[in-house]
This record gives sequence, C-alpha cells and structure tokens, in this order.
Amino acid sequence: MQEPQPGPPGAARPGGGPLDLFILGVRRVSEACGVIAVLLLVASVLVVCQLVFVRYVLGASAIWQHEFVTYGLIAATFIGSPFVLLTRGHVNVDLLPHYLPGPARFGLAFLAGLLGLTFCALLTWQGFLFFHEAWATGETGATVWAPPLWIPRLAMPLGMGLMCLQYVADMVALATGRSAPFGPAEGPT
Amino acid sequence: MSELELGGLIAVVTTLLLLTGVPVAFALGLVAVGFLVAFDGWGTLNFTADVFFDALNSFTLLSIPMFILMGGVVASSRAGADLYEALERWLYRVPGGLLISNIGACGIFAALSGSSPATCAAIGKLGVPEMRRRGYPASVATGSIAAGGTLGILIPPSVTMIVYGIATETSIGRLFIAGLIPGLMLMGLFIVWGMFAARRHGYQFVDKDVSYSLRQKLEVLPKVGPFFLIIAGILYVLYGGVATPSEAAGVGALFCMILVAVIYRVWQPRQMFAVFRDAMREAVMILMIIAAAELFSYMMSTLFITQTLAMSIAEMEANRWFIMGLINLFLLVAGFFLPPVAIILMTAPTLLPIIESLDFDAIWFAVVLTINMEIGLITPPVGLNLYVINGIAPDVRLPTILWGALPFVICMVLAIVLLCLFPGLALWLPEVLMGPAI
Repeated sequence: MQEPQPGPPGAARPGGGPLDLFILGVRRVSEACGVIAVLLLVASVLVVCQLVFVRYVLGASAIWQHEFVTYGLIAATFIGSPFVLLTRGHVNVDLLPHYLPGPARFGLAFLAGLLGLTFCALLTWQGFLFFHEAWATGETGATVWAPPLWIPRLAMPLGMGLMCLQYVADMVALATGRSAPFGPAEGPT
Repeated sequence: MSELELGGLIAVVTTLLLLTGVPVAFALGLVAVGFLVAFDGWGTLNFTADVFFDALNSFTLLSIPMFILMGGVVASSRAGADLYEALERWLYRVPGGLLISNIGACGIFAALSGSSPATCAAIGKLGVPEMRRRGYPASVATGSIAAGGTLGILIPPSVTMIVYGIATETSIGRLFIAGLIPGLMLMGLFIVWGMFAARRHGYQFVDKDVSYSLRQKLEVLPKVGPFFLIIAGILYVLYGGVATPSEAAGVGALFCMILVAVIYRVWQPRQMFAVFRDAMREAVMILMIIAAAELFSYMMSTLFITQTLAMSIAEMEANRWFIMGLINLFLLVAGFFLPPVAIILMTAPTLLPIIESLDFDAIWFAVVLTINMEIGLITPPVGLNLYVINGIAPDVRLPTILWGALPFVICMVLAIVLLCLFPGLALWLPEVLMGPAI
C-alpha cells in the first residue's frame, strides 16, 4: 500500500560521506531486524494454530509448540526493538519535548538518547553474560523438547547491541543536524 | 533512609527520567538498576538479564501480539464502515438512532480493532459528516465518536485488560467478562448524554429523509456477522476455560485474516506485511515495558518498598474510599501523559497489594482503572482521538471537539462512581459464568 517514504530533509542519503553511510547502514540493519521480527510473528501465528489443531482437533499433546512460540516472541521483542526505535515506536512522555524551545529541546533529546543508550548497553553486556552462561554449561529448557537455552538468550545481547547502534546513529544524526530533536518517525510508519 | 522516603525518592527520580522523553521502558529499567546498585551493591547487576528475560518467558504474553494482530487485520479492511452501515440501517427509526449507531459501532469496532484512534478514524469518517448533515450539533457529533472510540479498552477482547491480567496475575477470562456490563453501561451513558445534548440544541429525532428496505437491512448482515461470531467464540472459550488466551487470540487472528481476505479482498502480501509490521511494533513496545516493569517491581520488592507502602497505608486507618479516590486521581493525572498499558505496567504491581489490603477486589479495580484510563484517551495532550477527529472534520475547531468530549468524560467519572456504589456491575457476570473467585 505504502510507497517508501523519502527521509526527512537533511536525512542520510546514499552516496554521502562516511557519516551518511554509517547512518544509512545502521538504518538498513534495523529495517532488516524489523523483517526478522515480522517473520517470527508470522511463524508464531502458524504454530499456535497448529498447536490448537493438534490439541483440540487431534486430541494429541503438544510437545514443542509452547516453548517455540514463547522463545520466538522473546527473540522478536529483542530483535524487533531496533526497528521500533528507528520508527519512534517506543512510547515516551513527550510533554517537555513538545513545549521546550529549540536549543533546550536539542539538549533534552541528547540526554534522552544517552539515557536510553546507557540502559541498552547495560542489557547488552549483562545479556551477553547471561547468554554465555547457557552456552558454556550447555543448559537446556526443562521440558521434553529440551532446546538449548543459548539460542533464545542470544537474542538479548544481539537485539540490545543493535539497539545501541541505532541509538548512536540517531545521536550522530541529531548532533550533525541531519535530524530534528524528537523528530518525526523516520521511514515507514 | 526509611523505605517510605526511599519510595518517594524513586517516584521523583522516575518522574524526572520520564520527563526527559526517554522511552518508558528504558526509564523504568534505568531507575530499577540504579536503585538496586545504589542500595544493594554491584552484585545485583547479575540479576538484570535474568529478571528481564524471565519476564518475557511466558506463553500468556503471546496473546498480546495475537490480539493486536487480530485488531490490525480488522482495522485494515472496510469492516468499520460496514458495521456502521449495518447499525444505521437497523436503527434509523429509533429516536437518536444515528447516535446509537455511531456509539455502538465505535464500541464494537474498538473492541475488535483494539485501537482507539483507528476506531475514531474508521467510524468517524462516515459518522461525523452524517450526524452533522442530519443536524446534530458539531460538538455532539465529534465528542461522541471520540468518546466511543475509548470503549475498546473496556469491552472485550482488550489488550489493556490482558496487560493488567499479566501484571497482577489475575484471570484474563474473568477480566474480559467483567468489562462487558460496565462497557455496555458506559455506552448507554454516552447515548443518553448525546441525545440529551442534541435535544437541548433543538434537534428533533425524526429522520424523514432516510429509509431502508428490508433487503438493504439484510444484505449488510453477512459482512458483519462473522466478526461477532469471532468475539463471541473467543469469550466462550476463555470463560469456559477451553483454551488459553494465547490460543484463542492466535486462532482469532487467523480467522480474521481469512475473513478480511474473503469479504474485503485484503490479502496481498504487501498489505499483510504492513499489518504484521504495525502489530509487531506495538507488541514489541508493550513487551519491552513489561520486561522493564518487571525489573522495576523486582527492585521495589527487593528494597521492601511495595510491602512497606501497602502496610503503612493499611495502618493509616484512613477511609478506604478516600485512598481509592487518591489512587484514581493519581492514575487520572498519569493518564494525561501516558498510554494505558504503560501506566498499568508501571503502577499495578505496586498498587495491587494496597488495593487488596484495603479489601477491594482486583477484578473490580481493573474495570475502574480501565475507565479511568479511557479518560486520558480523550484529554490533551496525548488524547489521540481528539486529533484524529480534528483530521476528519477540519472545519470543527479543536476547542469545540474538546468541549464536545468533556461531558463524555463526566459520563466516565459517573460510571466509576456507579461502579463504586454497585461493584456487582463488574463482578456479577464473572461470578455467574465462572463461579466465585478463588
């Protein structure tokens, strides 16, 4: 339905300097994350319906479906997050940004970016340790299916790491005047 | 520092952090980690990833993206227009029939689509011009649609209720059923006010220029009927305990996809991708807040704030209704700035022990809380509905829409008062259908 929207004035365009390339590259990665999260969601719908069919129509017991969709959703949450950040989908209180004058708004946008980046970096680091623990010990889920736990846990450092990247790209765009503070959603909304 | 002072400090820091415009999820996470480290040492950092991950490790959470998806699918079709058309054709002879059709269509479509602004857009596009053409005052035409759109978070299936159920560990089926009668009651209050206001402006409820044949009345039914069946089916399996919310929502989403493909020819991969992408965006936003809110309430209970707060409020021996009033006032103010799910996730884990220590029912409180949250949807600065209506009817000035919506806000407050006087409005149906709460 929607044609790809051109970026806001001054936004990164292909063929620009290294900064433009960086911003654009990160953007493409985040968009790819969005596609992966969508695919995980599609898979979840199909598996849940298959689960209902197996349980209620065939009367058999479900073995792997619950865990599969639960882990799928966890992965979709972490991996989809950079795309949601890119498209300004993470809900916030925009009272001050709305009423502050230009320079103060710029400062606030930078501060908000730093705070978000701090938390994402922290989760990336802790998420990696959490993933590594499961990887090193070969821990598996506590069910019959027993999938290795490092697979779903990997989504946390991966997704949050890419979040950091998107935050950095956003702040670079902000600092160099390529995007407005608390600017409108970039790209498809 | 006592636990209560610490609680106050946390409230101040959280508010300040939220005001910077940082996403709610990350503000909550930062506050949680910051206070844990400051008061329990660096060792607590090791729990961060664990708690965050575990909060998401639940099959029930899948019902959130599934219901959002179901709503998105319905909203992407012309189902809203047909629903409006169907109600209008059947009710046009009733005094105020057009108003009833509009508010009714809003309520049903909002319940189906789960999105308040999408409802205002879908129903308002037809309803607002038609009401004005037939002489309803602009304030009633716009205000009723703005208010009608908010009904969706109360009338089941409702993502807001699911989020409350998850945050407080209450039965989602019970919450859904509990919202039904208050939802209809609120709809009734809206209609009564709308008719009263229109009459006051000299409007006579006789539409001589409109008439529909029986054939016209019947031909709209096959288009809207199946969607009702899906809602009824979901409620049936949930209250009967036949299937879990995630299963019901997943199958509901698939059925809705099939329906819009067959009835409205919405099936092209590109359209479906957009629907899935938007559902994913919203679900990820909510799930991130769920995980961060879990971290937040972990911090609150590790530092004994939740427990102390509930205990000291119980010991205050203040009137329980006075405290209920204060809680509602606090939620109302929060609702001016934040969407319902964010508020529920942030506050419910802390509020629930207080509510229960004061002998209020958790299910009843969910309904009161939800109506309270509806108010925030039609009050500035975040009241998206107002801006959507403004976009549909650009010649009606925003203050007129605001004034038009205000009496409906009073209807909502009245509904809360009625619920306080007669808790049975929310609790009777779940008890009859599902037995007394355990």
